[in-house]
Amino acid sequence: MTSKQYKSIGDDLWKSRTEKINAELFTLTYGALVVQLIQDYEDYAEVNKQLEKMGYNIGTRLIEDFLARSSLGRCSDFKEVGEVVAKVGFKTFLNITPVVVHIPPSSSAPGQPPSGATFTLTLEENPLAEFVELPDEALEGGLWFSNVLCGVLRGALEMVQMQVEATFVSDVLRGDDTTEIRVKLIKYLEEEVPVGDD
Amino acid sequence: MSNVGHYGSSTSTSLMSSALSSLAEPEPKLVDGIALDYLLIELVQTLRQSTLVATSKLRAREKEMVDAGLIPPTPPIPPSKKESKGKGPEDDEEEEALRIRLESIGATVGGNVAERLSKDRARFQDTLDTIKFVCKEVWAAVWDKQVDNLRTNHRGVYVLQDNAFRPLLRVSSASGSADALSKARIYLAFSSGVIRGALARLGLYAVVVPETTTLPQCTFQVKLPKAFNHFTTPA
Repeated sequence: MTSKQYKSIGDDLWKSRTEKINAELFTLTYGALVVQLIQDYEDYAEVNKQLEKMGYNIGTRLIEDFLARSSLGRCSDFKEVGEVVAKVGFKTFLNITPVVVHIPPSSSAPGQPPSGATFTLTLEENPLAEFVELPDEALEGGLWFSNVLCGVLRGALEMVQMQVEATFVSDVLRGDDTTEIRVKLIKYLEEEVPVGDD
Repeated sequence: MSNVGHYGSSTSTSLMSSALSSLAEPEPKLVDGIALDYLLIELVQTLRQSTLVATSKLRAREKEMVDAGLIPPTPPIPPSKKESKGKGPEDDEEEEALRIRLESIGATVGGNVAERLSKDRARFQDTLDTIKFVCKEVWAAVWDKQVDNLRTNHRGVYVLQDNAFRPLLRVSSASGSADALSKARIYLAFSSGVIRGALARLGLYAVVVPETTTLPQCTFQVKLPKAFNHFTTPA
């Protein structure tokens, strides 16, 4: 399927969704949660970890909802995964379409699975971080405010047999120019030969 | 422009083009309701963890201070206070701490929602008006429906009843409905926080007590302090 087709699938799924809520509700709840976690843990690295973990749990459930609604088949390669995640996944749940850039895997020995395939998602808008400003401490402490998204990606993709590593590369809340998440394929979780190998 | 001289005339609305009005009142950004549902579910679990960490840190600090002789040791809890189910008072403390956290997150959300929604509205006439606003508009904004039943004893206590409360709709437990009920209670903490926060932002400082007997029905008892009334003599 072409990129455009995925985009229109995403748009359709969003439009047909009847339960749309005001993003502010979502932003407020998430923001208050992060504040509370910072107060409890007093350690930004730990808060990052907890947000990721929470995201993982959410992701494992979200993927089922997504598959049921979109009835998309299996992706043929990791590049397609990136397209679906950006154009259909994010659109359906958060009504945003991050820009996806594919980075081909580094050269690997013949016969080896193509680990290292990566895509980056550049979020032009982030509903979690609307109107949020981070205090200096958080900036110095290395807080990734929207780290829950990395967990969601990891959890969701694990349920469809892909082990990935999702991390933030940059965040406008930290003063960077863009908000970028890098998703790297570690390996496929099946015994069968992974697709894309030749 | 012939309309310029007509103040308050109904034709003045034609002065506002749709571009201007969309600048003044931008379309609210929307996300899928299910994202919030999942967030709220996992939020409870995450906060439960963080509460454990926070309370154990607190206890460790207390112990340090006691060992250093800075504060007297806390008296041992009398056995009569222990729950018959075998849960120590420490578990209650943690459950309470979790509840407080959920409520305060709810209060933040409720306060801001109420503020946004009441922006263009006329001032509230009285307490009942405010409560009705919460029942209709705030409820609809947060849970996509209105309250099913509102009762009052006209003495500052209101009971808001919802027969199909959204957070409780899909709660079930493998160990049966009684277990589901007791576990569901904690999810109501966020919601009672929303109500409390919304009322507080609108000037009413109430105590909100959630109660549920059969899922997905639940009630919220809102107790308002007796307003000081200049015209009645003190009892």
